[in-house]
Amino acid sequence: MSALIDLVDITKDYGTFRALENVTLQIHSGITGLLGPNGAGKSTLIKVLLGLVKLTSGHGRLLNYQIGRQAREIREHVGYMPEDDCYLHGMTGVESVQFVAQLSKFPEIEGLRRAHEILDFCGLAQERYRTVETYSTGMRQKLRFAQAIVHDPPVLILDEPTAGLDPEERQVMLNRIRLLAKDHGKAVLLCTHILPDIQSISDAVIILAAGRVQVSRSLAELNRPTNPSLEVKLNDKSSIVDSTSFVEAMSRRQIPHSTQPNGTLILQGDQHQLSQIVWQVASETGVGIRSMTPSRNSLEEIFVNAVRGDFQDE
Amino acid sequence: MSESANSHQTRSDSGDTAHPQTTRGVNQLGYRGWSGDRQSGLTRWVVISQVGVRRAWQNLWLKRLLFFAWLPAIWFGVGFFLWEQAALYPDWRQMIAPIMSWRDIPHTPWFDQIRESFRNGNLGDARHTVWAWLLYIFFLYPQGVLMVLVVGLISPPLISQDIRSRAFLLYFSRPLTRTEYIIGKMGGMWVYLSIISLIPAFVLYCMGIMLSPNLSVIAATWDLPLRVLAASIVLMLPTSALALCLSSLSQESRYAGFAWFAIWILGWFTYFAAALAETFNAQQRMAHDGRLVAIQETSWSLVSLYHTQGYVQSWLFGFANFSDVWASALVLSAVTIVSLFVLYRRISAPMQV
Repeated sequence: MSALIDLVDITKDYGTFRALENVTLQIHSGITGLLGPNGAGKSTLIKVLLGLVKLTSGHGRLLNYQIGRQAREIREHVGYMPEDDCYLHGMTGVESVQFVAQLSKFPEIEGLRRAHEILDFCGLAQERYRTVETYSTGMRQKLRFAQAIVHDPPVLILDEPTAGLDPEERQVMLNRIRLLAKDHGKAVLLCTHILPDIQSISDAVIILAAGRVQVSRSLAELNRPTNPSLEVKLNDKSSIVDSTSFVEAMSRRQIPHSTQPNGTLILQGDQHQLSQIVWQVASETGVGIRSMTPSRNSLEEIFVNAVRGDFQDE
Repeated sequence: MSESANSHQTRSDSGDTAHPQTTRGVNQLGYRGWSGDRQSGLTRWVVISQVGVRRAWQNLWLKRLLFFAWLPAIWFGVGFFLWEQAALYPDWRQMIAPIMSWRDIPHTPWFDQIRESFRNGNLGDARHTVWAWLLYIFFLYPQGVLMVLVVGLISPPLISQDIRSRAFLLYFSRPLTRTEYIIGKMGGMWVYLSIISLIPAFVLYCMGIMLSPNLSVIAATWDLPLRVLAASIVLMLPTSALALCLSSLSQESRYAGFAWFAIWILGWFTYFAAALAETFNAQQRMAHDGRLVAIQETSWSLVSLYHTQGYVQSWLFGFANFSDVWASALVLSAVTIVSLFVLYRRISAPMQV
């Protein structure tokens, strides 16, 4: 599958400060999470993709358009939702969405119709007739999202789309992003500091730190632990004697295991085989199994390691 | 498109799965792709101009000003009417005879031509000069002053508000160049400046044609619309570039407005004071030498944009030679170029952070 975004040795300097250094990465369709601490170069990378800043060196393509040289064509096919609280002064919500649609070459009336349709999708009801200055943070967030998708771009770059939203609205926003990616085939580059957001909807993750790509992998690969294991939680109603006999039965079968402070039993080995053994032992000892999940790497741990430079890319 | 639209309508694709109890309106179709015909990208700046025009129109003072901006056109229309009536009917010449005998009218080749044709009774010979003079004065005095007021009302928030609301990211993440953005912003100003200068001047010219004895007058005055257009460009281009430049220098519109009026008012007063001093000195010399020294122009006119524009327009209407106004033309060009340079830098700056 060819990459929608393909960057090769991208370097960007602001004077003597190097914001991006030899960034080489490929982004495919689906949702890609872009992570990094403050000052890692995420915003600069986005500006590079949009052609808003000139490259110091390197080259790349976005949807077969050359980054930098064909910035205009790229911007026609990319929807960008900025992190900054930016708005068009004095305009109502629907006017400002219509305005950006017209900048993307929509005819005036069609731009207005499309603006209403997208604002319906984004959940801005009668507020759309108020001037943007009167909007709450959440409303402005929805408005920026509407402005990013109004021209039906195949690629979306969303910078902190859930920042400032309450938990319920955040979930709705993530659902919208997921829907656009899964049902409408859009490639989404999701830039956020909220790791659970990435964990819940991303297909791949890129972690930038100090202007360099530290991690660029699919989320499934990242989540897969180096040593496969199974996390087993026993039923609270099981007696201590039953629990002990369960652990002893595992020891007799020479299965490496450990018990965590919260009582979760970690069994090392092939997850499929282990699950069969667990059910068998539970039946023998009369222990109830509350949950049994394949253990996975924590994204938070991966992020911290990547930022420290300790991540081991296999 | 309708087929895909229908297929989308049947899907629950609002993303609102967190609200299963929410009822959706009949118009809520969820997300649908769009594959309609797009417009030409060459007119993107028009969209920005349209918004600028609509936003400026909300200003009540601007509406009042535009109403009053046409009153001088009526006054100058009377001038056209009197001259053409005098050309057709000798009785009417008596009405303008006192004007022709004014001592203050300077002895220049153009005015001498007007006097000569008036004396000969063949007013048609001086029609071109009279019309050009009326149009020039129309641009120089009433419309020149109104231009300062109109631009002072429209321009200050045009870019400063975009800086304050960080709207640049919304503009330039679209397929829009900086040049299109600037032309778009200028376009809104040009519309209003045209309403107070170009359009009334054209109306005056057309009125003159309609009052004239026959259509052969068009052949004799065909260049005047072009001169009006050129004079309008001289009025609009440097002023809009300077006004946008000032607007881009601050997040606060009021500072931009203050700077705009300060430049014109201080320039005018500096010129006035310097010209007054030079005139006084010249009169002293006249008294000492016992001869007359006509003061046509002072080099201090270059500090006043109002007078600088006036001199260039006098050349455009044929009342001065280019050798007399080249310095003024140079100043206007420099103001335009420097303003645009600063404007580009200021617009690019937020992207470079």
